[in-house]
Amino acid sequence: MLFSRISRIRRPGSNGFRWFLSHKTHLQFLNPPAYSYSSTHKEQNDPFSLVADELSMVANRLRSMVVTEVPKLASAAEYFFKMGVEGKRFRPTVLLLMATAMNISILEPSLRGPGDALTTELRARQQRIAEITEMIHVASLLHDDVLDDADTRRGIGSLNFVMGNKLAVLAGDFLLSRACVALASLKNTEVVSLLAKVVEHLVTGETMQMTTTCEQRCSMEYYMQKTYYKTASLISNSCKAIALLGGQTSEVAMLAYEYGKNLGLAYQLIDDVLDFTGTSASLGKGSLSDIRHGIITAPILFAMEEFPQLREVVDRGFDDPANVDVALDYLGKSRGIQRARELAKKHANIAAEAIDSLPESNDEDVRKSRRALLDLTERVITRTK
Amino acid sequence: MLFSRISRIRRPGSNGFRWFLSHKTHLQFLNPPAYSYSSTHKVLGCREIFSWGLPALHGFRHNIHHQSSSIVEEQNDPFSLVADELSMVANRLRSMVVTEVPKLASAAEYFFKMGVEGKRFRPTVLLLMATAMNISILEPSLRGPGDALTTELRARQQRIAEITEMIHVASLLHDDVLDDADTRRGIGSLNFVMGNKQLAVLAGDFLLSRACVALASLKNTEVVSLLAKVVEHLVTGETMQMTTTCEQRCSMEYYMQKTYYKTASLISNSCKAIALLGGQTSEVAMLAYEYGKNLGLAYQLIDDVLDFTGTSASLGKGSLSDIRHGIITAPILFAMEEFPQLREVVDRGFDDPANVDVALDYLGKSRGIQRARELAKKHANIAAEAIDSLPESNDEDVRKSRRALLDLTERVITRTK
Repeated sequence: MLFSRISRIRRPGSNGFRWFLSHKTHLQFLNPPAYSYSSTHKEQNDPFSLVADELSMVANRLRSMVVTEVPKLASAAEYFFKMGVEGKRFRPTVLLLMATAMNISILEPSLRGPGDALTTELRARQQRIAEITEMIHVASLLHDDVLDDADTRRGIGSLNFVMGNKLAVLAGDFLLSRACVALASLKNTEVVSLLAKVVEHLVTGETMQMTTTCEQRCSMEYYMQKTYYKTASLISNSCKAIALLGGQTSEVAMLAYEYGKNLGLAYQLIDDVLDFTGTSASLGKGSLSDIRHGIITAPILFAMEEFPQLREVVDRGFDDPANVDVALDYLGKSRGIQRARELAKKHANIAAEAIDSLPESNDEDVRKSRRALLDLTERVITRTK
Repeated sequence: MLFSRISRIRRPGSNGFRWFLSHKTHLQFLNPPAYSYSSTHKVLGCREIFSWGLPALHGFRHNIHHQSSSIVEEQNDPFSLVADELSMVANRLRSMVVTEVPKLASAAEYFFKMGVEGKRFRPTVLLLMATAMNISILEPSLRGPGDALTTELRARQQRIAEITEMIHVASLLHDDVLDDADTRRGIGSLNFVMGNKQLAVLAGDFLLSRACVALASLKNTEVVSLLAKVVEHLVTGETMQMTTTCEQRCSMEYYMQKTYYKTASLISNSCKAIALLGGQTSEVAMLAYEYGKNLGLAYQLIDDVLDFTGTSASLGKGSLSDIRHGIITAPILFAMEEFPQLREVVDRGFDDPANVDVALDYLGKSRGIQRARELAKKHANIAAEAIDSLPESNDEDVRKSRRALLDLTERVITRTK
């Protein structure tokens, strides 16, 4: 790869990039402010703009896929697919980029435009993976919110809060069933198996989180396993599905899988850190929502290795806010935050290596997409929100 | 079909059947008690007594009053034809539910435990359907269900039975979230007993996810699509029930649609899946579908009647649980056609028990119960016709299974519990 992450040149930018983005109001994740690019480099460097149009198509199709005649069910099902609450759309972005990154000599130049009626059938099928992935993801969010008694999600009331637990549970089942029908329509039994496995993993991960023993809560291994199930499995296996649909070899499919898995793990580890630090570099400014819910994440687990006494604090539970402060104190003294960041970086690097290991391609779109995927591995660890 | 349900001959039996059953201790379902055939059969000397599936807490051994010959028995008892296989399926279901996280496994297993297995109605229908369809597929030597040479096809069809049960139980678990269903199948529902809605939601999810994986393993995307549609229907039906307007509650059409979604879709589509796995044509698959659908509708309609009548023929002896929950079923809907005033009573709701009595009064004066029974019979007949329309077969097992399926269409409407 000619493109090197370390020597990437950044120049204070023109307004070009910002104008471009202001017309893409749904790009909530990674609002560019933290970066300035020259307009020449901007399309090369902004992973999201590469697939922005396609993302809109995917979003529209998603909305049409969850339509149903029973009004209450319809409003529940489409709740998180409405404009403005689609979330960061991280997963569909990765998947669409991966699709291009893999589609070696498949896309004719004239067939390239995503809004173009000549979008290839392969591309449509890969977009379907993105839709299925989002439906599975939202279904799991709906159930998780019931399980956690959450009252907000994506900046608005959670569905269970607004329409009741039962409807939220049913809506989640509905989305899952629609996802399965869409999966079946791809007529690829390996892909069906992959995504079915993901569904199982999501449930297993959530169960692991809800039913841990004290022993397990303090185990880094258990935590990483749970994180794989809850966060990384979906993105890794859907990346793999994208590759399989594209007729790739199993080696290449594994590279796609490794990219998704390590990107997902890195993402979650930074998520854990940000829950403590928020947008500042210092402790205690984050929402602290994990620890308040008794969820022990990587920074604390690392801190526990340095300060065994922290273990007793954790065992006491965190209903008492004072106990939270004690834990934060230990955390501050430890290298917990730094080690979590280091682990995230390690995984981000592995993800990047997977992209670098893909078979060479001279196609400019393929190369752009791969650069974008590399870019994501960096953004995932440098983001501050 | 040579076999006619009306002229079936039963003879007072030897101990054969009892011996047969006593060695099958897991046959909790079919505790024979409490089921009487019509007087036609009594006249012929038969005293078969079958249960339609008590939330079975008793060993069945104590409850056999049956005295038919073992030979005739196997021809006539739909359930014994597949009893062994059902055990295998039940055991495999149990082991499929084993997972890395013990707490969840026990929650999901809750509904599969002995004594709680509910009616096992669906798996029985599915396994019978599998044989009824398997024209010249099973070699005589490969016939035994417990036999290691059970064909791969048969194993796949058994898998449909397992998947169907998982989907069914998952929907029960999710339907119970925040319902006041404090007994389901005769013992505390999961919410109630474990006091934890979370575990019920999770356990339901767990079963659904396992069903997905099992479905995927069949490597047949059409079947995946069919059963996924069933999940959607279950959810739609439940939501319809939760969110009806007054208009819809009083509509027979709405009620039948909801009943299809909540009850008949699962059995009809899994029958169809059985046929598709068996390589049947789409016409035959449709017959299987029609059988399941009409059997399911008939079953539900009788269920509605029994909720009013219980084991007696008279009104008000049933649990009246539907009406008390404000669920308006076929008998009342029919009664409303004769007595429009009943509509206002319904609109008032049934929180007030006195209002229930008023409704029962109208119901008693009307032909509501009878018409519901008649509609059930109509559907049962359609189901029977579907079996009669299957391509002819000379295989004895196939014919036995088809007779059993016909038998079920009758039992569904003559049962008293």
